[in-house]
Amino acid sequence: MSALLEVKDLITAYGKIEALKGVSLAVAEGSITCLLGPNGAGKTTLMMTVAGILKPKSGSIHFAGGEISRRPPHAIVGAGIALVPENRLVFPNMTVLENLQAGAYQRRDRGIADDIERLLTRFPRLKERAGQAGATLSGGEQQMLAVARALMSRPKLLLMDEPSLGLAPLVVEEIFRIIAELHRDGTTIFLVEQNAHLALTVAQHFYLIEQGRVTFSGDPGSLAEDEVIRRAYLGTARQ
Amino acid sequence: MLADLVQNTLDGVAAGASYALIAVGFTLIFGVLRRANLSYGPAIMLGCYLATLAFQRQPALGALALAAIAIGGSVLAGAYVERLCFAPHRQGSAIAAMVASFAVWMQLEELATLALPRHVHAFPALYDGAPLQLAGFALRVESLAMLLAAGLACALLWWMLERTRFGLAVRAVIASPVAAELSGISVPRTFVRVFALASAIGGVAGFLVAASHEQVTPMMGMWFTLKGMLAMMLGGLGSLSGAVWGALALGLVEAHAQWFFGPQLRDLLIYALLFALLAAGPRWMITRSAS
Repeated sequence: MSALLEVKDLITAYGKIEALKGVSLAVAEGSITCLLGPNGAGKTTLMMTVAGILKPKSGSIHFAGGEISRRPPHAIVGAGIALVPENRLVFPNMTVLENLQAGAYQRRDRGIADDIERLLTRFPRLKERAGQAGATLSGGEQQMLAVARALMSRPKLLLMDEPSLGLAPLVVEEIFRIIAELHRDGTTIFLVEQNAHLALTVAQHFYLIEQGRVTFSGDPGSLAEDEVIRRAYLGTARQ
Repeated sequence: MLADLVQNTLDGVAAGASYALIAVGFTLIFGVLRRANLSYGPAIMLGCYLATLAFQRQPALGALALAAIAIGGSVLAGAYVERLCFAPHRQGSAIAAMVASFAVWMQLEELATLALPRHVHAFPALYDGAPLQLAGFALRVESLAMLLAAGLACALLWWMLERTRFGLAVRAVIASPVAAELSGISVPRTFVRVFALASAIGGVAGFLVAASHEQVTPMMGMWFTLKGMLAMMLGGLGSLSGAVWGALALGLVEAHAQWFFGPQLRDLLIYALLFALLAAGPRWMITRSAS
């Protein structure tokens, strides 16, 4: 399988502090690739840099054959990458329907209404609440709305930043069932997860990021899995 | 006594309508950019000055042509302010943008004074005849035009925000610029469009205020910024409907205070009211702006 997304020597800094210190990784087309790592390792920074919200200091991001690291976020959405951000960031004063319409902002085709219908069928809880404001939804429903909003742009690559954060175990299960479904339907997914156990059950490939560097990569089920999980939660003691 | 109250209320609502137009434009910029544009009023003033200049050269120009020049001038001056003060500080400091907008305010005032040196210049009224009489109460044609314009502008704005693609983008950017970008909405492009829209609304208000006062001065800029800010704060920061109510309240309190206490105490009363709101109800303001 060829790489849909290829990140090379990516450095992103907040002022003088480098949060990413030369990250290289690839996401194969059609795969679920997972990014593990402790808090503050740079996972969200990487997601925000790929989505164009943060500008890298150096390095390259290739997506579907083109360089996207210097393009503005809305153009990256147009190119086919959608990020489900950490903490969901649904539009609180807008209805579920309007949130979905906003997700399709880059599109000019006539299939938008059909896509909304299809997503509401896929997420029946959202259908019941189609006219409600985003803020009135539960955490799990907001997560589904954030996923559905991202899907409205018809992305080739779906980035998900901690979709299980702060959700009850049953809801987390539901979210991961949705991730598996999306993958089965052909969406490439690049997933950041604190819950390493769960993430490794769906992923085909994973990267471990610590202190702004990729320190390990491999396939789930390899011998190193327990060590990877320990380091994903705790970080490495090495200096 | 009762007749005075009714006449004051009528005058207050008419003044409030002009404040509403100004406040709605001010609030649009504040809501989307989350920073105060002190040059909002001066940009409108410059639009009015352009119209005055045109009127002095071509006294035959009709009200519609002058309005178009005032609106166009406001939008151009607004675009200048946006490029100079707000575009470079998008991710940067809100204070830097505000201070820059203060500096440009001085620039625009100087420009107006250079273009038309004396302090006061005549501006043609909309209508030369006597005020309309409604059951014994007087209503100026300019006030009526202001009411109509404010009502129409609010209705149009509401339709735009709630029913169009552009409105969806504006509301998304107000709610969360990051989430808007992630949804494929260009935040810088939305900024520019909102700036143009707010300046156009301000231009309408500027033209009507100039026609109603029948004069322009370089101080108009400060007047617009002050009234817009006051109405916005009275209505709770950042809420459009709040800005309209705040503007009406401002107009009503001013009209009654002017009648009962005179012009000096009128302004004192307004600031006392604002102080009381700020001291007692910051929570109220924040919840208003969140809704």
